[in-house]
Amino acid sequence: MHFPIADVVISPLFLAGVGFLVGVLGGFFGVGGGFLAGPMMYLVGVPMNFVVGTDLAHMTGKSIVAARRHRTLGHVDIKLGLLMVLGTIPGIEIGARIIERLEAAGSIDHVVGMAYVAVLLTIGVFTGWESLRAMRLVRTERMQAKDVLAFRGVTRRVQVFNLPPLISLPGSGIESISLWVVVGVGFLTGLLAGVLGVGGGFIRMPMMVYLIGVPTHVAVGTDLFEVVISAGFGTLTHALKGNVDILIALVMHTGAAIGAQIGAMSTRYFVGPRIRLLFSVLPIIGATLVILRMLGLVGGT
Amino acid sequence: MKSSRRKTLIRNFVIEILIYAVLVVGYFILVLRLLGGVLEGLFEGNLTVYAFVALGLIVAQGALLELVTSFLVSRLGLERVE
Repeated sequence: MHFPIADVVISPLFLAGVGFLVGVLGGFFGVGGGFLAGPMMYLVGVPMNFVVGTDLAHMTGKSIVAARRHRTLGHVDIKLGLLMVLGTIPGIEIGARIIERLEAAGSIDHVVGMAYVAVLLTIGVFTGWESLRAMRLVRTERMQAKDVLAFRGVTRRVQVFNLPPLISLPGSGIESISLWVVVGVGFLTGLLAGVLGVGGGFIRMPMMVYLIGVPTHVAVGTDLFEVVISAGFGTLTHALKGNVDILIALVMHTGAAIGAQIGAMSTRYFVGPRIRLLFSVLPIIGATLVILRMLGLVGGT
Repeated sequence: MKSSRRKTLIRNFVIEILIYAVLVVGYFILVLRLLGGVLEGLFEGNLTVYAFVALGLIVAQGALLELVTSFLVSRLGLERVE
């Protein structure tokens, strides 16, 4: 089927299937799924600038479903989500302008592709290592598995960073933390969203857990809430720059809506370290897809 | 969870998927046939209007599909998981 805005031919069933898979993963891990949906679209030949903007559009719609489901489960810290947005919005705008410059220079595919691979591999390897350490702690120290974290030293150092203003996050069980840490996490993930066309959840969720000290289940739900706002803004700013094929996004989203419900409900049956271990595989899969496309081993029309 | 309860849950879930698949196929035809030309024209002619229409469409679809799937989940009793 021809999608005239991005000028590509893709099966709508493939798009809905990708949306479903990304929806399940998003609802379960609290990520927008862009680090998989983006490479999948690139794989079938969607131009990279459209991958970036269209991915954000599909993520906006999908995250509404999953965030509402997590809210009913009590997994959303609204105060934290709204504060992170203060950093996310400027980060996205700067990222979108970087994309414009790269497109004008004719080097967007190469640069964004390499950035995807570097970020995805770093996140995947680190999260996998930490979660395995956490699960070992549960066995050897006989700790409660619910939310063991094998990186508490860094979390404690971040939480004592006393640059005012200091805030409390009762929804996440955090008594005091610098507002700049929260806004900084938001800015960095916004920048990634604007450049890579991702919701930033695959880095925001681990950063909320490891740097801010948010419990994993709350990080999942809060991240989805924040994605609704940041991806919505990203959609608008990229659409104004001609980087969104809304038809592709609408089709992908039909599958994502049902997948997100399934993913969100499934979090009730897993503990924190195991969720993080499963999560660590996803960015590595995304990086592999990008590498295959860049090497020309797979591709679309 | 009891075996009979699990079977009921799985059956209801399959029903939900089938209903949803029918809705999605019908929706594909509507979106791709009716909106395709309109959206392409907007994209070529007025990017500002296109941007806001695009955002509005995806948010509206998100809210609509959330209502549909929540209705199906509650109607089929899928929320009552042990």
